[in-house]
Amino acid sequence: MNVAVTKTRAEQALLQGFEQVAGVLPGAVWVRAAREKALGAVEALGLPHRRVEEWKYTDLRAALKEAFPPAVASAGKVAEPPSPEALAAAIGPELATMAAIRVMIRNGRFAGIDGAARLPAGVVLAPLAEALSGRTDEALESAFAVEVDAARQPVIALNTAYATDGVRLAVSPGVEITEPVHVVFLADASGPLAVTTRNVIDIGPGAKVTIVESHAGAAGVALQANTVTQINVGDGARVAHLKVIAEGERALHLGSSLVKLGADATYRAFELTAGVGLARNETMLSYLGENTAADVSGMALGRGSAHIDTTLTIDHVAPACESRELFKYVLDGEARGIFQGKVIVRPDAQKSDGKQMAQALMLSEAVEFDSKPELEIYADDVVCGHGSTVAEIEPDLVFYCRSRGIPLEEARALLIDSFIGEALEKVEDETLREAFAAVARRWLEA
Amino acid sequence: MLEIRNLHVKLAEEDKAIIRGLDLVVPKGEVHAIMGPNGSGKSTLAYVLAGRDDYEVTDGDILWNGESILEMEPDERAAKGVFLAFQYPMEIPGVAGLTFLRTAVNALRKKRGQPELTTPAFLKLVKEKGGELNIDVEMLKRPVNVGFSGGEKKRSEILQMALLEPTLCVMDETDSGLDIDALRIVADGVNKLRSPDRAMLVITHYQRLLNHIVPDKVHVLARGRIQRTGGKELALELEKSGYAEYADKAA
Repeated sequence: MNVAVTKTRAEQALLQGFEQVAGVLPGAVWVRAAREKALGAVEALGLPHRRVEEWKYTDLRAALKEAFPPAVASAGKVAEPPSPEALAAAIGPELATMAAIRVMIRNGRFAGIDGAARLPAGVVLAPLAEALSGRTDEALESAFAVEVDAARQPVIALNTAYATDGVRLAVSPGVEITEPVHVVFLADASGPLAVTTRNVIDIGPGAKVTIVESHAGAAGVALQANTVTQINVGDGARVAHLKVIAEGERALHLGSSLVKLGADATYRAFELTAGVGLARNETMLSYLGENTAADVSGMALGRGSAHIDTTLTIDHVAPACESRELFKYVLDGEARGIFQGKVIVRPDAQKSDGKQMAQALMLSEAVEFDSKPELEIYADDVVCGHGSTVAEIEPDLVFYCRSRGIPLEEARALLIDSFIGEALEKVEDETLREAFAAVARRWLEA
Repeated sequence: MLEIRNLHVKLAEEDKAIIRGLDLVVPKGEVHAIMGPNGSGKSTLAYVLAGRDDYEVTDGDILWNGESILEMEPDERAAKGVFLAFQYPMEIPGVAGLTFLRTAVNALRKKRGQPELTTPAFLKLVKEKGGELNIDVEMLKRPVNVGFSGGEKKRSEILQMALLEPTLCVMDETDSGLDIDALRIVADGVNKLRSPDRAMLVITHYQRLLNHIVPDKVHVLARGRIQRTGGKELALELEKSGYAEYADKAA
């Protein structure tokens, strides 16, 4: 579809604003070239809108009424890290105090690493701005300049154009990082800000890593966040990748995970979205080697006029891989939940095993849940299934609880816990599971 | 004392009267059995006592210790000591049995003005009461009633009853689905709870349970009201003659 459409005010600002900040965006010459190319892709088709199938339920062109001023960052310039109290308030005390190698990215700028000295040999962990400006890193170059289908993924192209910082993580074969690598993206500028961050991660064969992303905002800050995480998982590597998306009701969050999996690997992703205005959480995952298992699951909690869109593309290219997805939505007020789960099984991907489930619990009658599973299967020896349910809290169960003396509100909370419990179980690490449960509970009790 | 006066109950959603002028008095310290044919209103009576909102009381009153409970929410009734052991105990996936029990015990203690139990004190209590009912703590780490056999569910109901210390115990077909060994365990559990401060209402279709939980009085409920009241020997008589006499009149 190539229709000439008048650019919206936000689109014009995004296209024209680039020149003003290009000089203070980090990166070597090749980076500038990649940014300009990406911007060209955005210009060609503009922001995605409801007539683009993948964006049918999340009309970004309509939602993005104006483009906020972009954050800028240059290599070598370090932002002030937040105080421990501010950090705990923003991401929750459990995650703030969890033992971890912690990288702070504040308003799109690197603000220090805690615990870098504890990293084992064979690990590169650096601010992305520094890596983009530094010596040759071929893996980084090919990842950053990723070719995207601009019609479907202009958000990633926009990210390439405007990315200021994030992390560059490269783990050598066989290395295990025992503590999670925790990347905190905190937006607490005094005025509206567009923050664009990028993580480029390579996990070598047989390595083992847990990556946790906390996306948080100070209360009441208007934010447009665009964040992309690219992960290449080597043969036999084990990677857990967890995200909390909670930047506040005035935040628009565009998150993309681009994941490539080698053979015999394990990848477990979990996303908790709790408290955003609009979130589009997109995962594009490809199985490039045999016998790999991936689980992409999460929980979306929305109230007020929150709009939470989870869009997955799970691409079985190689044979004999397993994919599991479980997403649970708790929707209150006039919130809207969207789940789009596409599973592709390529002709060579025999013995693929895929299971997908999306479930919504409706706490008010004004909520909406759109669930669109899609299976595209080109191989004949596969097991693939999907399901979707929408329900209210079961009145019989509420009565059962109340007949045992549990007050109405407590009974409802218990039954909501029971609904999301199955999703939380997907978080294997107990400390992380409890930290995520605490974030969810605070949202539910708010 | 439980006093039910001229109770009339219909389904909330439709105009179908189920209980039509029921009178019943159960003093503290006594165990009364309610027997009757299927569809006579036995389970409806149990649910109405516990406050289920699928039913509407159109006339009459229910007093517990002289106070009408009709306007009370189910959890307020529980705080006043009302407990219903369900015929079909519900499964709550995702909520561990221990969490559920502790939430209930502490919610009731709070309402009754007692301090909440600490985790060790609670676990000790559960081990003690559970042991008497042959319920292992491991079983309670699983989600409430999920994957339990019929007998396990019934024992779990009686454990709840023992932990929540109600003063009015209503048991709805507690014997259904139990083999003879499970029946004995459940009955022993119930008998341990018999006390001068407690009134018990045992609803059953069969006389069998009443060999183990010996009632002070037996009432026959049919066509929405008590048709006959007698001693424990009435249960034996019903076992022989069946409910035909009462059902016929309904036809």
